[in-house]
Amino acid sequence: MPESVAKPVPEAQVAQPSRRKSSQGSLELQLPEPEPPAPLPQGLLAPGKRKQRLRLYVFQQGVDEGLPLSHEPRGNPDASSLASSLNLTFATPLQPQSVHRPGLARRPPTHRSVDVAAFLQDLRDTNLAPPNIVLEDTQPFSQPLAGCSPSMHGSQPLPSHTGAEDTERVASPRTWSSGSRLQNSSPEKPAQFLARKAKEVNALALGFPNTSNSISGDAVEPLQDGVGEEAEKKMEEEEGLSMSEVKETTGSQGPFRAEQPGGHTEVTESEGFQGAVETEEPEESKGDEDISGRTACPELASNTPAFLQTKQRHQFLELAPPPGATVLPSEPMEPQLARHPPRPRTTGPRPRQDPYKTGLSHYTKLFSFCAKMPMEKKSLEIVEKCLDKFFQHLCDDLEVFAAHAGRRTVKPEDLELLMRRQGLVTDQVSLHVLVEQHLPLEYRQLLIPCAFSGNSVFPAQ
Amino acid sequence: MAPPNTVSQKKYIKRKAPRGFLRRVLKRHKPHLRLEKSGDLLVHLSCLLFVHRLAEESRTNACESKCGVINKEHVMAAAKVILKKSRG
Repeated sequence: MPESVAKPVPEAQVAQPSRRKSSQGSLELQLPEPEPPAPLPQGLLAPGKRKQRLRLYVFQQGVDEGLPLSHEPRGNPDASSLASSLNLTFATPLQPQSVHRPGLARRPPTHRSVDVAAFLQDLRDTNLAPPNIVLEDTQPFSQPLAGCSPSMHGSQPLPSHTGAEDTERVASPRTWSSGSRLQNSSPEKPAQFLARKAKEVNALALGFPNTSNSISGDAVEPLQDGVGEEAEKKMEEEEGLSMSEVKETTGSQGPFRAEQPGGHTEVTESEGFQGAVETEEPEESKGDEDISGRTACPELASNTPAFLQTKQRHQFLELAPPPGATVLPSEPMEPQLARHPPRPRTTGPRPRQDPYKTGLSHYTKLFSFCAKMPMEKKSLEIVEKCLDKFFQHLCDDLEVFAAHAGRRTVKPEDLELLMRRQGLVTDQVSLHVLVEQHLPLEYRQLLIPCAFSGNSVFPAQ
Repeated sequence: MAPPNTVSQKKYIKRKAPRGFLRRVLKRHKPHLRLEKSGDLLVHLSCLLFVHRLAEESRTNACESKCGVINKEHVMAAAKVILKKSRG
């Protein structure tokens, strides 16, 4: 590119308008931009020059490095043409729309940095709105579900905090928290969020258990607990390890579990009503951040039930009995699961043959597989005896070979010699061939030396 | 390490080598002897080949006697031959 500019530049430096035109024309020929054609009168060229001069200043900053010629044409009237040439050359990669706002247009859009983290941080920063504003807003469902889902994803850290905080402060029933969450979820105004967030942070800093207890205690307890249990159950079913991992990572399972009912109640509702969207989001959130994910789950849950609650409060009561019913089977499940591992205990001493036989059984199974025919049990016993003898012979031979080499350690060379004597390894069939045929990749890599990057061979010879 | 083969052991076999078992066997028979790092894999390889040959031989014996099932006589006869071969 600069070379193409360099060519017309010396031409233009002759300071001839014809040359300028020609240079511009040449530039035009080179560049696909819809520039004014060469036969334009010079009067029209002047405004073009002015525009290009304006652009020149902006472009010079970026162009200075690349083009030594850019320094020259600054003071010259030819600079305009040069600048125009420069501008032309550098405008081509940019869109023609950049003429009006070259600086802004030239800057590459950098708003694609971290979505979740930055977004959450921004929300946290902005979520410091006072609760008054929260209460004032009485139309939480202004935005549809589609609008709520991105807001939910973004405002995940918010609602649980706000809910916890509100429940703490006001000691109000769930409606308040849900209402606050509603307002949190739907409108995301910075002022509101700032105030809320500050309070939430404070509330959270005080201690999660308090908040969780407050959440569970204040609102409809059985409903929450039941729904929370069901939510836990559902969450475990659907999310499984992610949840448990998050729980474990948080460290304190108690407060976390206590929190969960508050969060999970909403989660269940969300799941019940909306399904995959919310579950995916808490999953993602949990996967992303441990603590924030943990809070995000209840937050997300709070989001969805928040706006659902106002619409369908009666459904909570409907949910109550089924969660209550489901809680019962889930509860006895857990203690049973805990009991299972210790239950099957074999009493008595383990006979010494067992590990030996279990090791041999590996080869007997292999035998029955290779035979491809049904076998009797007694024949398997004979196979075991046979293997036993084989091992004895093997050990003796290895000892002899190692002693012959004056060693106390059995090395792979001894093994190769053994196989050679057995007739498995011949001049035609080498050990590596057998290794490749019969062993899986992991063992092959250990046995056969292979060259790796950095002029290294593994395993070292 | 999970075996690369899938679920049922009827059709698929474990390809994992019982390395601990092999080392223990050598120690039991020859306690003064040591084994190198990848030595037990080669021991496993030789065992595999031995079992292959044994199974092949016993299968041949069973087919020759036109039996659908491998009897212990077939196995015994095969073992005699193969053990002699793999004496080294």
